[in-house]
Amino acid sequence: MDTKSLVRTLHPLEIKVLSTYAPGRELSAARLAADLGYKEGQANQAFSWLTAKGLAEEAGRTVRTVYELTPLGLEWISAGTPEERILRHLADKGPARLPEICAALGLEQKDVGSAFGLLSKEGALSMDAEKRAVADPAWFQAAHASGRKPRIALLREILERAKAAEGGILEESALSAEEKAAVAGIARKRGAGDAGFRVADRESVSYRLTEAAGAVRKELADAGITGDEAGALTPEMLETGSWKNVRFRAYNVRGPAARVIPGRRNPYVEFLEGVKDKLVSLGFQEFDGSLVETEFWNSDALFMPQFHSARDIHDVYHLAEPTHAREIEEPFLSNVAAAHENGGATGSRGWGYGFDRDFTRRLILRSQGTVLSARTLPTAEIPGRYFGMARCFRYDKVDATHLSDFYQTEGIVLGPDVNLRTLLGFLEMFAVEVAGAKEVKYVPGYFPFTEPSVEVHIKHPVLGWFELGGSGIFRPEVTEPLGVHVPVLAWGIGIDRMALMALGLNDLRELFSPDIENVRLRRAKI
Amino acid sequence: MPKIDVNEKLFFALAGRTYGAEELELALQGAKAELDGWDSNSGVPPEERTIKIELNDTNRPDLWSTAGIARQLRTLAGGDPPAYPFFSRDGDARPATRRVVVDPSVLGVRPFMAAFVISGKPISDSMLRDAIQTQEKLCWNFGRKRASVSMGIYRTSLIQWPVLYKAVPPKSVRFVPLQMTETLDLAEILDKHPKGQEFGFINRGKKLHPLLTDSRGGVLSYPPIINSADIGAVQVGDTDLLVELTGTDLPSVTLSASIVACDFADAGYTIEPVAVDYPEPTEFGRTVVFPYYFQKPVSVDSGRVARILGRSFSPAAVAEALARMGVRSEIHGQFVTVFPPEFRNDFLHPVDIVEDVMIGCGMSTFEPERPKDFTIGRLTPVETLARKAKAILVGMGYQEMVYNYLGSGRDYIDRMNVPGDGVLRIANPMTENFEFVRPSILPSLLNSESVSGKAVYPHRIFEAGKVAFKDDAANYGTVTRTHLGFLSAHGEANYNEAASLAAALLYYLGAEYSVEDCEDPRFLPGRQARILRNGTAVGILGEVHPRVLENWGITVPCVAGELDLEAYV
Repeated sequence: MDTKSLVRTLHPLEIKVLSTYAPGRELSAARLAADLGYKEGQANQAFSWLTAKGLAEEAGRTVRTVYELTPLGLEWISAGTPEERILRHLADKGPARLPEICAALGLEQKDVGSAFGLLSKEGALSMDAEKRAVADPAWFQAAHASGRKPRIALLREILERAKAAEGGILEESALSAEEKAAVAGIARKRGAGDAGFRVADRESVSYRLTEAAGAVRKELADAGITGDEAGALTPEMLETGSWKNVRFRAYNVRGPAARVIPGRRNPYVEFLEGVKDKLVSLGFQEFDGSLVETEFWNSDALFMPQFHSARDIHDVYHLAEPTHAREIEEPFLSNVAAAHENGGATGSRGWGYGFDRDFTRRLILRSQGTVLSARTLPTAEIPGRYFGMARCFRYDKVDATHLSDFYQTEGIVLGPDVNLRTLLGFLEMFAVEVAGAKEVKYVPGYFPFTEPSVEVHIKHPVLGWFELGGSGIFRPEVTEPLGVHVPVLAWGIGIDRMALMALGLNDLRELFSPDIENVRLRRAKI
Repeated sequence: MPKIDVNEKLFFALAGRTYGAEELELALQGAKAELDGWDSNSGVPPEERTIKIELNDTNRPDLWSTAGIARQLRTLAGGDPPAYPFFSRDGDARPATRRVVVDPSVLGVRPFMAAFVISGKPISDSMLRDAIQTQEKLCWNFGRKRASVSMGIYRTSLIQWPVLYKAVPPKSVRFVPLQMTETLDLAEILDKHPKGQEFGFINRGKKLHPLLTDSRGGVLSYPPIINSADIGAVQVGDTDLLVELTGTDLPSVTLSASIVACDFADAGYTIEPVAVDYPEPTEFGRTVVFPYYFQKPVSVDSGRVARILGRSFSPAAVAEALARMGVRSEIHGQFVTVFPPEFRNDFLHPVDIVEDVMIGCGMSTFEPERPKDFTIGRLTPVETLARKAKAILVGMGYQEMVYNYLGSGRDYIDRMNVPGDGVLRIANPMTENFEFVRPSILPSLLNSESVSGKAVYPHRIFEAGKVAFKDDAANYGTVTRTHLGFLSAHGEANYNEAASLAAALLYYLGAEYSVEDCEDPRFLPGRQARILRNGTAVGILGEVHPRVLENWGITVPCVAGELDLEAYV
């Protein structure tokens, strides 16, 4: 990274260090605290950042002893040390036996005993003939007169100093020999719960700025950056106009942006809606319907014989309850039954079997979107174009290429003059407009409900050749029984493969993923 | 859709030429077939190479064999349609020296039978394998898993004519079935033989079962289950084979016999007719000599061909295109009368002729034409409303989800703490994981939450989608509705959040609503509300009951709601 770019990544804590010290100078947290007013944490942060950028390096490590104020020590500051309390008690109430002192002050006998021992050794206390402790006011006067502070006064000072220090920590190196001796009496290394101070070893690291810091320092000086730049524009600056005199800290624009989690549409649904919008723009009206259908509309009305292998029990889902629709609308039921049995009035010879009027009422989960086309025929406008994106259900083992329920896109075109060539015209429009195909080819196909039938294959710029969909002209056995006497083009396009490609997926199950993080991160690629 | 394996050497011999992969792929389009695989570069010797072909037309069983595909390709390329002089017709039976006698006992069981003999040369390995495959595909797809058509092949050298087709009590006959060594009665075959287990559903429970024997009582087969291990054990090199088909529908049985006979004829075998004596007259007579041509001519107006295909067609042009499909026809003024080939019976309607004309002309000869009609496109009202609602929820920080509609009783009922009586159950589920149709969007949302504990919180998700449930008032006894469901999961989720969301959503949708207290077991008592429109319940919202959360293994508080969008259309 060049120096200019490096400068933009610097935090004010780093800038001040770089601006203040020359390369080679040994620096410590204490130094920064003294010169720049950094707290220990800030100084360490600055050293860590500078080191990572190669602007500072470690110069040495030393171990030092520190005294850390304990919670008990903190309590002593406000309530008094045991020694102070004993002396105050004796001064207020006169001489007392040690057990009486323990009871009155709520102290343990061993604590009172050791305090008495120390104080009497120093001459501040004595024991009278009745084994009562007696304070000696003369001793204090004498001590003050000599210019030497008594130990307990020294301790009080040290405690107050520790309280004021950052983290309640006193450096051993900052204490006089006398102070050290006094503190040692109330400090423990371990089990410091009943001591005023904990004694600990601290490692301090010293650093020095590298040669590289010199160039940065010059760059900072040239740019006039001091580290005192404002971090944010505030309403107050705007109200007072003080922003005119303020320099703003530059952001590191190359750094990673923090993640936001927005409210968002589902990319698969957006893809499907895009296809819907395309079809609407091509003059198609959307249709929709019940997830539960009858054998009649799902297959019989589409002239699929009731014995057709695709209608076996293992190809569609049947409802357990209710099992049958109450009725099938007339005259459609009779017309369709006749078309199956002997062709009825459709000009067909029919399938030549006895149509089962009970079976036809059986309820199933719709297995093909074409059911909606059939249902639309009786009320369709002529000319008319319709489409639907229907959730369909298949008796399939769920895996990467099969789902229990999935979308099919289907539609119809009705008109007195539509024919095979118009059908190819529509397929070409879908291929180019909906699928973005560059080349289109048509091959004969087979669907039970259309004759002739045509498959459309397209060359997609990314996916290469694949089958876009199937189509055909509805058989008269489908349209005539439903009261439609013009040709009806029927088509279905498979867009799952395009959807997977668009979303960068290769498993159909992912389209319906319940995983929130997956869906949040997903985005369309084409 | 059937997929077949084709022996490359046999196929090329029957087609009269060889093909490269791309050529074959293109040629197969004329048979509505797709190349599914070909080990042409695998180092396998040519006589053992296999071409895999998928057939898309379930109405053209004649294409489900090597000879059938080869025939279609041959004629499309300009070859003459083959002639099959061995067919009998109404009033014109071929002489037959062999007979099958159908006993009246089969009438209520499996009443129809067709038969013929193939001779002239020993059967080759590839032809025998192809015949077995044809038998399987024909009887599985066209014969509805052998229920309506099944087939057997036998060694005539072991048969004492005439053959007898009858029905017998299943315990009354014992024989050694193919692929076994022990003698079993018919009931035991259904229980013990693999084919008995697979196809036993056709005969099981009936008092009488079909049986085919020769005149000495030697068993040929137990239709439609299994051949005997002697007369019914055909091997490569055998000559003079009896082919027999039985079934429940005479035209299907007859057509299947015709297809197999034509295949063998194409491969250079001689077809010898067999007379079948029925106990009473059938639609083809009392004694029918097979192979039997029964198809009726079908006529089409050439004007209709032109209207459907979108360009002018003279009767002669129609006939010419049909000839390329191997279909003979005669011109009568405007009309063209088609005589279906012996192996086809798929001309149900004149439009079926039109498709053959289309393929005969070649798809590429039809120019796409832009539609001239003017129509107005529009979305459904509920789709339009759903899009508005979704935009509002996205604005409020919600992620749209989309879920499957099938799930388990555990997820839709048990975990939701609700009774299951209104939920639609599938009678034939594949697994219990997909046994119910979802009655509500809420379990889908809770499932999401239960699998997304690692995603950064808060979680705010929604879906607009379909639900379905029982409704006695409807003709189908069920209704499908479009619902909008939402869920918010985070440490501070509470009722107010859900209520505010619903208020904002309905305000911006311009939808009137009110709320009232309710006691839905999915939500915490006192922290849930029913949404009403003109006094009718159209939704619910509240804090999800901790018992429900516990059922789903969710450890973060959730508020959720669901609204019937169709109530506002």
